Amino acid sequence: MPQWFIRGLRRGIVTTRYPGHPDSSVSSLPSPPAFRSEALARPAHQRAAPRPFPPNPYGRGAAPSAATVADLLVAVCPSGALRRDGDTLVFDVGACTACGACRRAAPDAVVSSGEFELAATSRSALVKRIPMTAGAAA
Amino acid sequence: MTADIAIEERAAAELRREVARQFGRSLHIRTLDTGSCAACEQEIRLLAAPHYDLHRLGFFFTPAPRHADMLLVTGPMIRAFAVAASKTYEAMPEPKLVVATGACALGGVYPDDAFTYGRVDGVLPVDVWIPGCPPSPLALLQGLLVAVGRLAEKVSGLSFIARSPEGAHEDATAGGAA
Ligand code: SF4
Ligand code: SF4
Repeated sequence: MPQWFIRGLRRGIVTTRYPGHPDSSVSSLPSPPAFRSEALARPAHQRAAPRPFPPNPYGRGAAPSAATVADLLVAVCPSGALRRDGDTLVFDVGACTACGACRRAAPDAVVSSGEFELAATSRSALVKRIPMTAGAAA
Repeated sequence: MTADIAIEERAAAELRREVARQFGRSLHIRTLDTGSCAACEQEIRLLAAPHYDLHRLGFFFTPAPRHADMLLVTGPMIRAFAVAASKTYEAMPEPKLVVATGACALGGVYPDDAFTYGRVDGVLPVDVWIPGCPPSPLALLQGLLVAVGRLAEKVSGLSFIARSPEGAHEDATAGGAA
């Protein structure tokens, strides 16, 4: 009897049961960041590091000089997914590549959201506004 | 802007109803690479692997636009390809769906310049957006199910605000509308 048949029987069904049941790999999927409001308005202690590879030839994300943590995040994001609008950090989930640069730059302000079910039926639903002070949220 | 969103959402709800009626059980997908790095294609390919097995959900890939119900578009829509993309779309029978896949297609990777449009929706009318670079097969699966109205869109209810180091996931999930 072919080996693969025995192996298959022993291993059982490998097909995911998503969407009926959660998939076991969900926790290891890349996910966009979530931001901690109260940490965004703090002064940035480090200068934004020079953009890592690949260098962005289009100059999006502006020069790496940052007064607050939010500015720092805007400066390090290689895909222009972040921008500041007054006291709000505007996060475009659609443009985010989950590269982790923002999380490396400010680990105390950025965490992983753990979300992977991100499909949207309107582009504007993917643009999130993050207030830069605690309390203003929700 | 709010009014725009309301109109957009009403149109989307209408489309969802129609699509669920027509495609609820079986749907054929034509993939279209408009200049992607091919990582998105790798993930799309994985959908047919045993672990994801998208055929169990009634989705099938087809090489012919004339047999396709859905155009799964990856890449930032390079300008040289726009005519071919429009022709592919026109060749599909009505009703048809366009799903923009990956940060490239959504405008996150390339700018609008002499070479690319930087996003798909300048050329094709996009119905569903799937973020990610590349989106994992599970994320693609959710996008496909959202497109045919078998799964509710979830991301519009997420805030991406984290409040405490421990509760990041819960907060991001439970947050109010942005
Ligand atoms: S730095 Fe990377 S992970 Fe952070 S928002 Fe920008 S693209 Fe997303
Ligand atoms: S979205 Fe990312 S993975 Fe997909 S084609 Fe573009 S660069 Fe490649």
